[in-house]
Amino acid sequence: MKAKKIGLLLLSFGLLISVALVGCSSSEGDDSNKDKVTVDIFQFKVEFKKQFEEVVKAYEKENKDVNINITTVGGGEDYGAALKSKFASGNEPTIYNVGGPQDVKDWADKLADLSDTKAAELALKGTLEGVTKDDKVLGLPYNQEGYGFIYNKNVLKEAGIDPASITSYAALEGAVQTLDKKKDDLGLKAVFALPAKETWVTGLHLSNVFLAPEFDQNVLNAFDSNKVEFTHSDAFKKVLDLQNEYSAQPTVNLDYSQQVEELFSTGKVAMIQQGNWAYGSIAGIDEELANSGIGMLPIPVEGYKEDSMPVGVPMYWAVNSNKDAKEIEAAKAFLDWLYTSETGKTTVLEDFKFIPAYEGYDTSKISDPLAKDIYEYAQNGKTLSWTFMGYPTGWGQQELGINIQKYLSDKMSWKELVSESQEAWEKARK
Amino acid sequence: MRKGNLWYWVFLAPVLIALVAVVILPLMYGIYYSFTDWNGIYTTSFVGLDHYKALIGDEEFRNSLWFTTKFTVVSVFLINFFGLSLALLVTQKFKGNHVLRTIFFMPNLIGGLILGFIWQFIFIKVFSSIGDILGVEGLKVWLATEETGFWALAILMSWQLAGYVMVIYISFLEGVPRELLESAQIDGANSFQRFFHVTLPLVMPAFTVSLFLTLSNSFKLYDQNLSLTGGGPYNSTQMVAMEIYNTAFVENAMAFAQAKAVIFFLIVATISLTQVYINKKREVEL
Repeated sequence: MKAKKIGLLLLSFGLLISVALVGCSSSEGDDSNKDKVTVDIFQFKVEFKKQFEEVVKAYEKENKDVNINITTVGGGEDYGAALKSKFASGNEPTIYNVGGPQDVKDWADKLADLSDTKAAELALKGTLEGVTKDDKVLGLPYNQEGYGFIYNKNVLKEAGIDPASITSYAALEGAVQTLDKKKDDLGLKAVFALPAKETWVTGLHLSNVFLAPEFDQNVLNAFDSNKVEFTHSDAFKKVLDLQNEYSAQPTVNLDYSQQVEELFSTGKVAMIQQGNWAYGSIAGIDEELANSGIGMLPIPVEGYKEDSMPVGVPMYWAVNSNKDAKEIEAAKAFLDWLYTSETGKTTVLEDFKFIPAYEGYDTSKISDPLAKDIYEYAQNGKTLSWTFMGYPTGWGQQELGINIQKYLSDKMSWKELVSESQEAWEKARK
Repeated sequence: MRKGNLWYWVFLAPVLIALVAVVILPLMYGIYYSFTDWNGIYTTSFVGLDHYKALIGDEEFRNSLWFTTKFTVVSVFLINFFGLSLALLVTQKFKGNHVLRTIFFMPNLIGGLILGFIWQFIFIKVFSSIGDILGVEGLKVWLATEETGFWALAILMSWQLAGYVMVIYISFLEGVPRELLESAQIDGANSFQRFFHVTLPLVMPAFTVSLFLTLSNSFKLYDQNLSLTGGGPYNSTQMVAMEIYNTAFVENAMAFAQAKAVIFFLIVATISLTQVYINKKREVEL
């Protein structure tokens, strides 16, 4: 009996101590590493996690005095939440990611000036717009990404449509109608797959094409604007209706994986609105299709630019200005090495499969067809900017995207959609 | 129990420390933040009751609160109805009743997120295939309309929790003394009378526990909601927990979301405590 009591007592003490120790795990390195600079990276891109870790290992080998730790937390909004908790825990990372002007504003106190880096100098024109404040460059672009209508070359060929001829809304509409007529012969379920469940596809990406013109395609103009006009509202409605009418149904329920993997990669639809990031998903299902059977078309804005591709920078690298000078220097040196050294450049292009946002790359080595198409459009100056990075926080997804779902479910007219979205924008900017 | 006893406190300490660290302190912080303009990174000023005032006009929050309430009423009823029915079924004497207990309990072992995705597959794929065969349009749009989305959530939730409350009911049903039932039978009570006048009053404590569990779980539902409907279409199946998350992280209004969370906490606490108080009064002791 006595032994049992003592046992219980020990157990409870054990619990007590373990509870008291939770959260106190020490992060101090041992003494032998004293001269080493430790750079903690907290980043969002899960797709290149493995390749990134490998390149970091290579860098550590070359630079014995630097120790780099990477933590990856993926997926847009979750990254923002995780980053805030990371900072709140007191365990601040050295390098982290910021999105657009709103992030720059929020994190203002914790952003080091990166203007003196080589990478900032070589960044392509326009890519630094969203992260420049008072002549200070506060972030370095990851890469460039673009989106449009990804199409299945074989299906279009079989239907007798030349993708090169689709350079206007009228041509697109004609092609879609032809495809729709022949859909039984082509084995299609529908022409499009519109994933209206993903409010980032409709509320951010699609709307961007039609709202960018009124902000002169400048993300900062959108960020500073107190209102939104919807000047190209009709063109917007037309493209949305076209996609919805000829889409696999029900659209409000269709998500990214159904759209890309289940319907497009298996040839059940001919076209989808997505970006070059979909390459990986498509290759995962049908590698041959991904490498030689797909291409990208622009989303036409009637009355503005009908043949331009929206190209932008999804995220930027930022360096924490709260860290000591030595650590900041090491962080900058690493980013410079990654984007401007020969080894770094090869990795960025071939292993990460990035469309570079910097000068001095041998872009003939871009291997995936979507990236190639986007790069070509960019070369020819046929681009639209990613102005949606300057929308009020949450507006694109929680207001416009949701209103689009209501519109597609017949719970809201287009006129109401426009006016309610305008009101929400004004309210957010008050 | 001598509360002054040192051992009493020693044994209680681990739980108390954990409770203070992960429940009480965050709650205090949360309440404090709801009076400031905290954006998740820093606080610049104290705004008093501004967030609470803004809450009154927040349609989104009101809608989700209403939806959650409707959902809770329906699912609490369904879960307890099925839970008790299953418990009565498997406490009968027949071969295989232990196997059935295990089977009914199993959905509980699957995590909420996965469960949501499994049912999403059932609603989208299986239901629409059946709809194709039978030619019923309504079956093809299960997660695409407000009403069917609501029922989809209710079905999922009952399927998951019925087995769990079944176990609670079983333990109380098996504790009902056989002599009481036998003497009632000798007195001429039929099986309905025996159930409603003898068994039911004696398993009242099981209702207290099960109602409390199902009520608070339904109110706080998040993962199943996220994976099954994601709040869609057009946020019509968005429950309060998700609405608060979206306010905080998608709209980046941290302090405002915190105010919503405080109100939500008060509502859930009030309802659950009232329910426990009422139920406790109806319990009978032998």
